[in-house]
Amino acid sequence: MTEDYSPFLPLSPAALHILLSLAAEDRHGYAIMQEVARQSEGQYKLGPGTLYDNLQKLMNQGLVEASPQPPAHDDPRRRYFRLTSFGRGVLSADVARLDAVVREARAHLSTPRRAT
Amino acid sequence: MRTCYRCLLWLHPPVFRREYAGEMLWIFDQSSQSQGTLGLFFDGLGSLARQWLLRSAWWRVVLTLALATLQIVFGGFAMLLFGHRHLVEPAQDLSLNNLAEFAQDGAIAHQPLTIGILMYLTVFITGGLVIMVIGLTFWTKSFAARRQPAVRKVR
Repeated sequence: MTEDYSPFLPLSPAALHILLSLAAEDRHGYAIMQEVARQSEGQYKLGPGTLYDNLQKLMNQGLVEASPQPPAHDDPRRRYFRLTSFGRGVLSADVARLDAVVREARAHLSTPRRAT
Repeated sequence: MRTCYRCLLWLHPPVFRREYAGEMLWIFDQSSQSQGTLGLFFDGLGSLARQWLLRSAWWRVVLTLALATLQIVFGGFAMLLFGHRHLVEPAQDLSLNNLAEFAQDGAIAHQPLTIGILMYLTVFITGGLVIMVIGLTFWTKSFAARRQPAVRKVR
């Protein structure tokens, strides 16, 4: 029995980066923004509006959930988010899709273009 | 600029504002130096538009009420401006010519004045109410669908 991830694919760039940033550990909003900037080497910067708008959508879809308890020694006002197992599946499916796109692109770009 | 950003957050839908506005303002304070206040403000504007137009269905209620009001008000005004002259005073005599004209030109236009106005108003108000009911039904369905947990298809 496998879950059907196709209704959620392809992920938008913002959703993909948010899910990627949550794949390793639970994070709060500001940490997600910083992680996204680090992952993209500063080329993709999320604003708080885009971040929380997408987080709300991902939570409604069941891909992300609020982490029950923030780590110790942290500001209790900060809300932590984590990836659900379903969200991890959707992320893996989208990464596999992107991987196929990259392989296809490499194959086309490496062969010389024939003149017509 | 911080005050403007707070106002922008206040304009978001209540559910979103209660959940995230505090953290968004905190992040604004933290990252306004690195990202620039103007960029963050425009990001908030984008979020505001998405929240009201895509995530919330309240625009459907507003559109429905606006259409229904237009239907009732302008329909009524149009009737008063253009339809009134087709209405006639109550017929004093039931001569053969009067009855022939009545049969030829249609029933509503030649009704006595008060009944004619009432008929026109009934038609316009009923039309407005029908638009309202249809719009509100669509809104209620989408609202209920959003309240249900995410459904996952399993093969």
